[in-house]
Amino acid sequence: MFRIRFHGRGGQGMKTASRILGTAFFNAGYEVQDAPRYGAERRGAPIFAYVRADKSAINERGVIDRPDLVCVADDTLVGMPAAGVVQGMDAHTVLLINSHETAATWQQRLNTEARVLILTATEDVEDRAELPYIGSRCAAAAAALTNVIERETLVAALTEELGHLPADVITQNRDIALRAFDDMKQHAGLVTPGSMPSASDYDRPEWIEMPFDNAAISNLAIHAGATSVLVRTGLWRTMRPVINYPKCSGCAWICSTYCPDGAINVRADGYPEIDYDHCKGCLVCVAQCPPHAIESIPEHVAREQEAEASA
Amino acid sequence: MSKQSPLHFHRMKDMPSTHLLGTGTPTCAGCGGLETLHTIYDILGEKTVFVNAAGCMTLLSVYPFTPFRGGWLYTSMASAPAGAQGVRDALDILLQKKKLSPDENVEVVVITGDGAAYGMGMSATSGAMDRNLDFIYLCYDNEGYGNTGQQYSPATPHAARTSTSRGSHGYPGYKKDLFAIWAAHNPAYVATVIAAEPLDLAKKIEKIKGMSGPRMLISLAPCPTGWDYDPQLSVEIGRLAVQTGVWPLKEYSDGEVRHTKVPKRRKPVEEYLQLQGRFRHLFEPQRDAAGIAEIQSRIDAYWERAKVG
Repeated sequence: MFRIRFHGRGGQGMKTASRILGTAFFNAGYEVQDAPRYGAERRGAPIFAYVRADKSAINERGVIDRPDLVCVADDTLVGMPAAGVVQGMDAHTVLLINSHETAATWQQRLNTEARVLILTATEDVEDRAELPYIGSRCAAAAAALTNVIERETLVAALTEELGHLPADVITQNRDIALRAFDDMKQHAGLVTPGSMPSASDYDRPEWIEMPFDNAAISNLAIHAGATSVLVRTGLWRTMRPVINYPKCSGCAWICSTYCPDGAINVRADGYPEIDYDHCKGCLVCVAQCPPHAIESIPEHVAREQEAEASA
Repeated sequence: MSKQSPLHFHRMKDMPSTHLLGTGTPTCAGCGGLETLHTIYDILGEKTVFVNAAGCMTLLSVYPFTPFRGGWLYTSMASAPAGAQGVRDALDILLQKKKLSPDENVEVVVITGDGAAYGMGMSATSGAMDRNLDFIYLCYDNEGYGNTGQQYSPATPHAARTSTSRGSHGYPGYKKDLFAIWAAHNPAYVATVIAAEPLDLAKKIEKIKGMSGPRMLISLAPCPTGWDYDPQLSVEIGRLAVQTGVWPLKEYSDGEVRHTKVPKRRKPVEEYLQLQGRFRHLFEPQRDAAGIAEIQSRIDAYWERAKVG
């Protein structure tokens, strides 16, 4: 059975990628499951979708934990534990990353046995949440790597799944997808179906025996307020608002009031401060600041600058 | 609880500069509903219990995380006001039996989306107003079933594209006038609000803090995901909703309707429509002049009837 995971950010089209690939597999005579991970499918948030395809009935359910192929639309997710990109990878897995870096760099960074391939990042956009056509490119590259889906089958699946879009958008997606398909053809067949897990291979976890407790005391009751601050929604951010303090008039309420998340508070000195652990990067503050004292910069650039500054 | 509180939101500088609602919620970046809620929460304060019908905002409190500092109760989509009745009754009984001191009392606040408020929760809401339930109801209206992918709801405006109105002319129906329906029950208070006009919002919340009985709020909630626009435009689109007259800010009490922020010269509605992907078919591939004119004429007719602006 083929087991393929697509990782990206909400808005990059990973659900669409899984649908295109799923439909292509189906039209090539496979039994198919394709599904996005249900949860916070929010713009910019780490999300994934997955596809299973087999010649016989698929009895496996749920999230894929032993992938044959992991396809990553946005390389800033690779090192993010919450995104779970490397989960379950082993020597059999192929890791395909949309990146400006080389395969050798990623191989070394991740110290992984998995084979790393690069889907060369073609479009340079400021806001990673708006990577164009990446869903179609990922689906096409995955199709080529399995070597069981023909060009025409891919095009038919893509046209079917994007059918609600204007004709020129479909054409654009098709052309870009086919370029990715042809580029990956040199590695055709590198992704092979993983074996079916058998009950005899199952490693018994190291169970800890716990006695039953009275439900009233074993249920963790949370009495603390505002525990949501433990959730780092700052990970969703693809563009970072940065306050230029010399330009800030210290009006003390506009950015702070309009920030939907309440992630801007006013300091004791009367100037606002952005909480980057939680700012989702909507940039309402950038749009509303009267003296234009808040700028936006790509999050990956901001992180690189921070890394350089601390080095 | 003291029902007396002075009105002190005169200028923008009076708006709270630190926030009570916890960050880290799973709402989309640029959520207009959360923007309303955090302003309301800043003013109502911690002595509140929220009764939340199924919708986007039920994702706020997913165990063990909550942005609230007080209680929160989850109900099915149609029954939040009934849940509020139960909570209010329980509080009143405890107060009566002196098991709860008056300073421990809390305000019961219902939060629902437009699917519940305009549609399936209407009967329970009507009943709660009939019984003169002492509660606040906040409807965050993003004009569709946003949490499940923006299917149309009775709050969807004419011509908007939704995931269930994909034809070339969008949604054929018209937005229900929930303000009028609620006001017809003669509750203590009904108002329309929007986060993009924070001072108007704050004044209304301050006013209802000093009142009892059913206090009903409908907040238009610009929704980047459902309305298809760049999240940074959330406030701009909200402000245009007021300036074009699409979303009249008004309040009802004692049998009277008052407009609280009348646009001096209404901007053409297309300034509001063209920023949103859900109305793109009105402008591309060619301009649907008749469609835009119909929307404009309905807005003009509203303000003509209202005899203001």
